[in-house]
Amino acid sequence: MTSPRVRRAVVALAALAVLYALAAELGHGRLPDRIWLGAHYVENVQLLPTFRSLAEEGTFLVESRILLDSIAVSTRRVFLGLLLGSAAGILLGLLTGWAARLEVLADPWVTFFRFTPALALLPLYVVWFGYGETSKVLLIATNVAVITLLGAHQGVRGVPAVYLDAAASLGASRWLRFRRVVLPMAFPTILASVRIAAGLAWVTIVVAELIDARMPSLGYLLALAGAYPRVPTMLIGIATVGALVLLFDLLALLLYAQATRWMERVA
Amino acid sequence: MAIRGEWRRTRKSWRRSADRWWPIARRSWLWLISLAALLAAYTLVARVVARPDIVPEPRDIADAFRTLVGRGVQLAAPEGHHHHSSDQVETLLMQGVTLQAALAVSTARVLFGLLVGVPLGLLVGLLMGWSRRADDYLHPVFILVRSVPPLALITYIMLWLGHSEAHRLIPIVYAVAVTAVIPTYHGVRDVAAKYVVAARSLGARGRLLLTRVVLPAAGPAVLGGLRYSLAIAWMTAVGAEMLMAENGMGNLLVGGGMWSSRLQTRSDPAVIIVGIVSLAAAGWAMDAGLRMLTARLTRWVSG
Repeated sequence: MTSPRVRRAVVALAALAVLYALAAELGHGRLPDRIWLGAHYVENVQLLPTFRSLAEEGTFLVESRILLDSIAVSTRRVFLGLLLGSAAGILLGLLTGWAARLEVLADPWVTFFRFTPALALLPLYVVWFGYGETSKVLLIATNVAVITLLGAHQGVRGVPAVYLDAAASLGASRWLRFRRVVLPMAFPTILASVRIAAGLAWVTIVVAELIDARMPSLGYLLALAGAYPRVPTMLIGIATVGALVLLFDLLALLLYAQATRWMERVA
Repeated sequence: MAIRGEWRRTRKSWRRSADRWWPIARRSWLWLISLAALLAAYTLVARVVARPDIVPEPRDIADAFRTLVGRGVQLAAPEGHHHHSSDQVETLLMQGVTLQAALAVSTARVLFGLLVGVPLGLLVGLLMGWSRRADDYLHPVFILVRSVPPLALITYIMLWLGHSEAHRLIPIVYAVAVTAVIPTYHGVRDVAAKYVVAARSLGARGRLLLTRVVLPAAGPAVLGGLRYSLAIAWMTAVGAEMLMAENGMGNLLVGGGMWSSRLQTRSDPAVIIVGIVSLAAAGWAMDAGLRMLTARLTRWVSG
């Protein structure tokens, strides 16, 4: 016997799929297939491709390895940026959280980067680091670093002063207090910020690849599909990005659950 | 609430001790020193590199700023006076782009996104947080919707709606709505446990329960989430404008032209830095406004 939760989830997702199929079948031949693109008309556009044409396009994209190559390139960028950015961000956040002096020194710069929309840095990075990998990985790293810095900072600051005083009165040195009290207590907050950062990293990379579209990458695939326009490719690209975001989120959740097993659970 | 109050107090005491070590006056001094030190370091690097097309000196950046706000265009550069000029500045001037106009357009798009997206997100979050049944049906769909980066949709939306303002605004509304759902949902659900049982046992139900118990109690979480929505709105607006818009800050950053040819023309870092600093300032100002509003509206919480 399945729980009502699972049953309802299946019903909702199935309803979504059926509604789409219905709309696509009804729209087939009825929706306009000649579209004005600002400068010229394009012919044979399927605004709502049927599942059949989506499946055909999907097999083509998989068999030609286009999709897999794109996924590999984009995932690599996100992964590198995430690694680099969270390493830098967590380190800085721990430092600024633990040392009041450093916090004041870092404050103007943290504020500045915090309110800069990450994508605005892309043209600057392209000028400084050229097209290609470096500017994209660094763009993600910057974005991730800001979020994880704030997470680590808040995590350290969230440690109740009582705990620190207790540890100190038991004779724990500053380093020991940091390692045994602050770090474990800040850990969940830090991981939560990494999870948010992972989601934003995907948003950033796809758009960065759309704006500066070259080489196999998911953003490039979307840009190409938009230029022709080839709607099945577009929708498959969008779905792939969504699936990857979901996958990274699940991985982050798993990591979180695994790493905080020692904590007491309220519910 | 007792635990939360306790936590807040301990955090406050931590804060206060930090303030004692570093009194406010000395803090602001350090703040200024940090700012000045990095500016000086940057100027030094710019001097050493001596490539204004890659690392412009602060003087170039100030010059680009003056040009972009419409001053100094008419002023013919006096003899020997340094004048900053580049492809990007020239393209922007030719299109009649000014910094303040671009910023106004972007702010308008962000505000529109918030005005339409936040109520939408609140509604969905409220529905999912309030009703177990709605949550069971809607949550899986919401997770799918949430996972799609809004800007990835922009070319698809364009096919449906053509080159119009709508296809730039829809991704912003979408992004704002999706980010507003989660804090509302958790806000409503976290309340539900304690207060709802108490209010129910006192006989409150339906609309009374919603308007007098759940909504006020979820308020702080919802308002806190708004700050996040604001940041996302700015990011999406700038991204959408970089991709396809003839105006706004994103257009200023990539220096005009249609999206397929963008970033092909030589970018001028001075203009980009002016743009980034303006965006950061605008984002900071709006966030500060929101924080003040939140403090005003939730005064009763910590009271």
